[in-house]
Amino acid sequence: METRFTRGKSAILERPLSRPKTEVSVSAFALLFSEVVQYCQSRVYSVSELQARLSDMGQKVGGSLLDVLVLREKNGKRETKVLNILLFIKVSVWRALFGKEADKLEQANDDDKTYYIIEKEPLVNTFISVPKDNSTLNCAAFTGGIVEAILTNSGFPAKVTVHWHKGTTLMIKFDEKVIARDKALEGK
Amino acid sequence: MVIFSVYVVNKAGGLIYQYDNYVPRAEAEKTFSYPFDLVLKHHDEKVVVSFGQRDGIRVGHALLSINGVDVIGKNTAEGKDILEYLKDPANFPVSIRFGRARLSSNEKLMLASMFHSLFAIGSQLSPEVGSSGIEMLETDMFKIHCFQTLTGIKFILLADPRQSGVDVLLRKIYEIYSDFALKNPFYSLEMPIRCELFDQNLKSALEIAEKAGNFGAGS
Repeated sequence: METRFTRGKSAILERPLSRPKTEVSVSAFALLFSEVVQYCQSRVYSVSELQARLSDMGQKVGGSLLDVLVLREKNGKRETKVLNILLFIKVSVWRALFGKEADKLEQANDDDKTYYIIEKEPLVNTFISVPKDNSTLNCAAFTGGIVEAILTNSGFPAKVTVHWHKGTTLMIKFDEKVIARDKALEGK
Repeated sequence: MVIFSVYVVNKAGGLIYQYDNYVPRAEAEKTFSYPFDLVLKHHDEKVVVSFGQRDGIRVGHALLSINGVDVIGKNTAEGKDILEYLKDPANFPVSIRFGRARLSSNEKLMLASMFHSLFAIGSQLSPEVGSSGIEMLETDMFKIHCFQTLTGIKFILLADPRQSGVDVLLRKIYEIYSDFALKNPFYSLEMPIRCELFDQNLKSALEIAEKAGNFGAGS
């Protein structure tokens, strides 16, 4: 049915799913991302709204990315433990998106619902200098959205927020029931 | 072997970025007693020496401070007119610092626009068709290098006459501009560049060029 509406074959849909060697230049991405940020900025009235919009955009990306990454990296096997999904994000997702692993994955000392992914210099922020008047804005909210979508769609509902701490920190806060379920699994 | 300053001029001729890497300070401080033997005059909101060169004080130097307190335009820090102040014998002996006046930002804007016009005149005066504008202007103390991009932005560099590799440096500054200004969502085209990353990277590129320039001169 699709070929009736497209002129010839759509090349990207015919490509095999496994292991494409495509790389996109940082400049091309940076220009596109700069336009994404400007697009969002023209429609909001505050810094937190802007971060929320960037997070939404990231979530759309994360949702589509999860399926193909699970298929490629883990042959379709799904994660059931919190620590494993976080390691999957830190290693596989980061490598697929940015070409390297995330710098650090830490658990909060006092709260077992909260985890931190720390990156000194996120790739998305390489060319962005935030002016002094919105100095709390961190465009890595986009990456936070990607992480949030991956977690939520894998069955680990969570909220991800972005902070300027030791570089950029993504604070992941899982829902109560996720941690309770995880503890029950451990107990078995 | 230094690079004195960098100016970036937009398509319309307005200055959008300016950085002074090294400003040679030619200053002299002397104590004077009544009667004051230099002739001073008002010029452009400043008090300058019009006659009486000696001991490092030259014609054209501006009066920078009296008794250690910086002057404000034509008046002392307390608001008294300087020429009147120096006519009063009760104020002497007085210690005055003269020096080459630093350019104010307005003056820099004007001079950059003037250079933009001269650049265009240079290309029109040329006997060959389709030549570029002024690429280099040489004086005994410094050289002005100018690089115009395809989009009409001019990168102007004031450097030591013996500095080598300025073309490469100008291309590098263009690269830094296209990275940290053009990919920044908070920068609008043709507007003054206020990006931290641009400043930082520009400074390090200048440092690298100065060190490399030194190697060239020494060998």
